[in-house]
Amino acid sequence: MTESLNIQAQLSNLSQRTKGDKVIWALVIILALVSMLVVYSATGSLAYKMYKGNTEIYLFKQIIFIIIGITVIYFAHLVNYTMWSKVARVLFIISIPLLFYTLFFGVRMNEGSRWIKLPIINMTLQTSDLAKLALFMYLARMLSKKQAVIKNFKEGYLPLIIPVLLVCVLIAPANLSTALLLGSSCMLLFFIGRANMKHILWTVGIAIIPLIFLIVSAITKHNSSDNELQVEKKSSSVLTGRVATWIGRVEGFIYGSKKSNNESAYQVEQAKIAIAKGGLLGAGPGNSTQRNFLPQAYNDFIYPIIIEEYGMIGGAFIVFIYLIFLWRCIRIFKRCPYAFGAFLALGLSFTLVIQAVANMAVSVNLFPVTGVTLPLVSMGGSSFLFTCFSIGIILSVARNVEQLEGKQIN
Amino acid sequence: MEVKRDILWRVYLSFIGIVVISFFVLGRVVYIQNFQGNYWKSMSDSLHQRIEEIDARRGTIYSEDKQMLSTSLPTFAIYFDFMADGLREKNGKRFKENIDSFSISLANHFKDKDVITYKKELQQAYKNGDRYYLLKRKLEFQDFKILREFPLAKLGRNKSGMIVEENSKRLMPFGLLANRTIGLSREYLINKRKIKKQNVGLEKSYDSLLTGQKGQRLVRFIAGGVAVPIDGYQIEPENGKDVITTLDVNMQDLASTALMRMMLESESQYGTAIVMETKTGKIKAIANLGRQTDGTYWEDNNYALQVSEPGSTIKLATLLAVLEENKSSINEMVDVGTAGKMTVGPRIVNDAERSPKPILSLKECFAHSSNVGMSKLAYKNFGANPEKFKSYLHQYYLDVKSPIDLSDVAKPQLAPFEKNRGGIMNMITVSFGYAIQVSPLQTLSLYNAIANNGKMMKPYLVNKIEREGIVQKEFNPTTLVENIGSASTIKYAKESMEAVATEGTGKYVFKDMPFAVAGKTGTAHVADGKVKYEDGVYLASFVGYFPANDPQFSCIVVIRSKPHAALHYGGQLAAPVFKEIATKLYATYVDKKKINIVNFKKDSSKYYYAGYTSEIKNVFNTLQMSFVDSSMQMKWCNVFPANYNPVIKNKIMAATYMPNLKGLGLKDALFLLENLGLKVKSNGVGKVVEQSIAAGNNFSKGSVVYLVLG
Repeated sequence: MTESLNIQAQLSNLSQRTKGDKVIWALVIILALVSMLVVYSATGSLAYKMYKGNTEIYLFKQIIFIIIGITVIYFAHLVNYTMWSKVARVLFIISIPLLFYTLFFGVRMNEGSRWIKLPIINMTLQTSDLAKLALFMYLARMLSKKQAVIKNFKEGYLPLIIPVLLVCVLIAPANLSTALLLGSSCMLLFFIGRANMKHILWTVGIAIIPLIFLIVSAITKHNSSDNELQVEKKSSSVLTGRVATWIGRVEGFIYGSKKSNNESAYQVEQAKIAIAKGGLLGAGPGNSTQRNFLPQAYNDFIYPIIIEEYGMIGGAFIVFIYLIFLWRCIRIFKRCPYAFGAFLALGLSFTLVIQAVANMAVSVNLFPVTGVTLPLVSMGGSSFLFTCFSIGIILSVARNVEQLEGKQIN
Repeated sequence: MEVKRDILWRVYLSFIGIVVISFFVLGRVVYIQNFQGNYWKSMSDSLHQRIEEIDARRGTIYSEDKQMLSTSLPTFAIYFDFMADGLREKNGKRFKENIDSFSISLANHFKDKDVITYKKELQQAYKNGDRYYLLKRKLEFQDFKILREFPLAKLGRNKSGMIVEENSKRLMPFGLLANRTIGLSREYLINKRKIKKQNVGLEKSYDSLLTGQKGQRLVRFIAGGVAVPIDGYQIEPENGKDVITTLDVNMQDLASTALMRMMLESESQYGTAIVMETKTGKIKAIANLGRQTDGTYWEDNNYALQVSEPGSTIKLATLLAVLEENKSSINEMVDVGTAGKMTVGPRIVNDAERSPKPILSLKECFAHSSNVGMSKLAYKNFGANPEKFKSYLHQYYLDVKSPIDLSDVAKPQLAPFEKNRGGIMNMITVSFGYAIQVSPLQTLSLYNAIANNGKMMKPYLVNKIEREGIVQKEFNPTTLVENIGSASTIKYAKESMEAVATEGTGKYVFKDMPFAVAGKTGTAHVADGKVKYEDGVYLASFVGYFPANDPQFSCIVVIRSKPHAALHYGGQLAAPVFKEIATKLYATYVDKKKINIVNFKKDSSKYYYAGYTSEIKNVFNTLQMSFVDSSMQMKWCNVFPANYNPVIKNKIMAATYMPNLKGLGLKDALFLLENLGLKVKSNGVGKVVEQSIAAGNNFSKGSVVYLVLG
């Protein structure tokens, strides 16, 4: 008796202590539930491959990730957000050598070194996720500190752009698309943070030069391979190897699926089939057939599976959840009296939603294939936990704002 | 606050930007669904679904005593998909870990390449990312079973990338024996996708029964190229039926051996020997040997069905026709002269061998194979009406295709028999075996009719058609002509044929026979195709039956000699083969049969047991007895003797009808029947000899089966 009472007391205690924006909490729960459903469905063929058809394994893994993720959010949101200002610096300083380490010694997947293996818990960690989070926190801190001198290049802009460039350059060899997305998210943050437009445009202009080079080489490669069969040179170094992959992907996007053996073209094709099969209302939960053909159906390409199973309606629903999430975060920003908290909420929420929109845009073939996940929906992994962590930080800002407002009312 | 307001419009602008992009995404979804929808959907169907054929197992051809003459064995082709995720993941970890042990296993087992070569080839294919690398073809089940347990291979398709394709191979366990008659069944690709079948012999004439019905199923491809059948879209294949021939492996063996001995000795071009059961017309053995370029012999053509000028063996037809006309009697004397040459009607007739005396009786003309004598008699009887002679030939089935149940039977040729000089000349020529082309089988059928007291039987090769051990169709002996001549004609013909062996052209060959034979020699000078009379090629034949007093078997031996061969007479080349076949058949089948009638002792060499295959094999292996394994990996089998060796043959135990329990021990019978839901009552000790519900019948669950053991 006493024990059950105790639990009930604890539960009511928990709900009381769970503060922050309730809508955001609800959105997180909804997305987690969606991810459970879709991941369970989409991992069918993977389960056959790895665990002889034991499909529940991935469901359990996902549930465990969700539980850990929500725990992370819960504890992160209890922290006074001003603490994050100090944490930001430490995290950022840690993440730079980690990025270096990953670049040279990381686990290779698809030839890019993106991962390091954590020794004790035996989990692969995508260091760029950590670096991203650290960078955004750090930028929020810098933007809030430098508001007075923000228009000044030397004192305002340089301290902001240098960490961004450092992280981007370190991520780019292994994962160009993440670096580009990170860079553009930062530019948007600078714009919001009132940085000098002239400086931003210059940065963008300079960054575009290697991109143009990439596109041009993709076009020339395509034309030359049309004319004659070329023996593909096996590139020896990591960097040149990646460059070839990038060129291939850009080529695939520009020229579509001419080459049937082109892997990303195949992905796009299968994704489109999934979208086309979905129709308005979808085939129903668990009835996807494309999950068997679409590589990464549980990960980068989960959005087409959502559309296939839940239709256009389901696809639109996911989009709106992210937009509402962003809107709620903007509300937090408006209510937050302190610059650091405001920028923290803005920076983390904008980058999260940008990543979501980018993932969906790739899925519907608006952008070339990149390796970004759909935040909170794609199957587990370190990126899921980092997403939860950043949501926890946003909620900690919200909780503090609520506390302040409560005090003012009282 | 100024700063905050400045920031706020930027935030809203960015938010609007993101909203706009989101709507682009949704717009794109609408576009894909509504404007390209059908294209993608149809693409998905064509990519992922396909109708696959399921091969039906081809039936087996058996000898009369149920030995397998031609059967299908599964063979396996092993391919590798080196792009398989399981093999490539973690930078090819699995491939690298297993390549050495896999290469060693391959080299140790197959011994065709060394470890380094295997490794090198596999690594090259891996490097090239080959998706369909052929490792081994035509692996038999035994080898495949071993390979399946190799390092890498045992990981299964997804991890190892190994693709297994099952095919079937036609196997003839008795090799050369009756090879051509049983035939071949081959499939080959003519262009791209079209498969052409090339069958000969029984495989061809019974192809539609042996083939069975292919099944179909709809399959869907899932990740990794694995095809999964879709429920409810499957038509089961119907396996081919089995053909049980009339052939007897032992008779075939001794006919083939006897013929082979003479062929090698005489270096002849080709030869054939056919053994027919007199009463029924069953072909018990049919050997065809053709000389290969390297001097060996092989069943390369069905010479038994080839038509050619028969020579003197046709004289039986002349004899029968002449006697039937009633113008000549068997003792009529004919002047054949001493020159070996005489003008008969419009042409000059030569004798192959000098006649022993200038005047011969009709019977002697036949026994000494006098061309002059026979043609004179033919001229006397049919000179005024050659067409009449032709009607006799028709009655003897010499101008129509042999009705045997094989396809591609050659049609006999006969020169025209008009009522003019040319027609009469042809008629005279035919009377001693030229200007007519018949097959050895046709000649044999005629001689067999005499042995069978004038009743001509249809020659046939197939006893019955079975499906999973149950008879579908049975073929019984068919009478073609009830009486090809009057009783006296038949009697005289028999006497004349016996005279051939006692005093005529077969005198020396058959002088020491323990039983009487009757027959006729034939020596035809060959001129066909490129071969001219000057080449000195002869078709030597002997056809007859034995024992003469109670004919059991008829046999014909036809050998085509090499050019200018020293031995080329029918009595020299063919008769000795006939003699060997007849002697051995007599000893094994005719003589023994008589003894068996009085001897009721149980013959311990004629055993018949049934049981669980692995247990029976275990017994043989423990006792270190050799045995022939035709169990085809079936659970149950029969054991019976053949060629002094125990043979283990698969026994079909269906679940839907009553199995054949003969030879089973009580333990096994109980196990089987009670699993089928039957109650068993038994009587006696030993193996099952009788069962109350006959094999192949339906039964209802819970009914009682009475077994008699003995």
